[in-house]
Amino acid sequence: MAGTAHPEAMAPPQKGPTRTAPPQMPGTWWGAPRIRTYLLFGATGIVYFIAGTVFLHLVWQLGKGPEAWETALSSLSHPAYIAFNALTLVSVIFVGVRAFGGMMPKMQPRTGPIPVLPAGTVKALIYGVWSLMTLVICLILAGVLF
Amino acid sequence: MKHLLLILEPVIWLLFGAGLALGTMLLTGFVLVVGLAIPMGIVPPEALNYERAYGLASSFIGRVILLALIALPLWKGAHHVRSLALDFGGAERDGAVGSLLYLAAAGVSVLGIIAVVGL
Repeated sequence: MAGTAHPEAMAPPQKGPTRTAPPQMPGTWWGAPRIRTYLLFGATGIVYFIAGTVFLHLVWQLGKGPEAWETALSSLSHPAYIAFNALTLVSVIFVGVRAFGGMMPKMQPRTGPIPVLPAGTVKALIYGVWSLMTLVICLILAGVLF
Repeated sequence: MKHLLLILEPVIWLLFGAGLALGTMLLTGFVLVVGLAIPMGIVPPEALNYERAYGLASSFIGRVILLALIALPLWKGAHHVRSLALDFGGAERDGAVGSLLYLAAAGVSVLGIIAVVGL
């Protein structure tokens, strides 16, 4: 009876570069929930980019003086701005839940002096910081604090 | 160009990561109040009248937060849009697309610095 084969028995005499096919998005991506979620996560980048420019506009107007600021603030009441800001809020929550709840608890360093915490604890810590920051920012901007 | 992007990758990833984490944490409160609650009349606009808004924004912490609020989402956005372009457009145009997006993010970030410093 033959013994077990040598693991390198079928290896080429010389190692060549690994050939890999370029990654391609499957044509059926819309029907695959995991790819759809991944793409939606990427698409939030468009919303974030526009949100950054909207805040730049607001700060720019604040620097121009009281009239420009009041005009900029009142222009946010336009339905298009409200719809965009609602979309931004949905995007931000989606990114937060996916990143803080799903990714970051699994991204703890496995080496070094800091002990690896249970994923649930890390998730609760990050959600706690996020909620606290949101609450403090809301209270300051609404005039309750400071 | 692709080579330059590879060299800059640690910086880009740092800004992207900060945009994803800090940008998300900061944006939530600002969008809730400035983008929705004040325009919809839930919070009176006097809460952010010019004197108060300017006072908050022109403090040191206010400037740092505003700069983070402008710049970090841009870098998160640029990197994610590049990733989308890579998924659908392939790797051939990645150098040009990535450079264009990061240049736009850098340009608007510089404008953000000018706006925040000028307050």
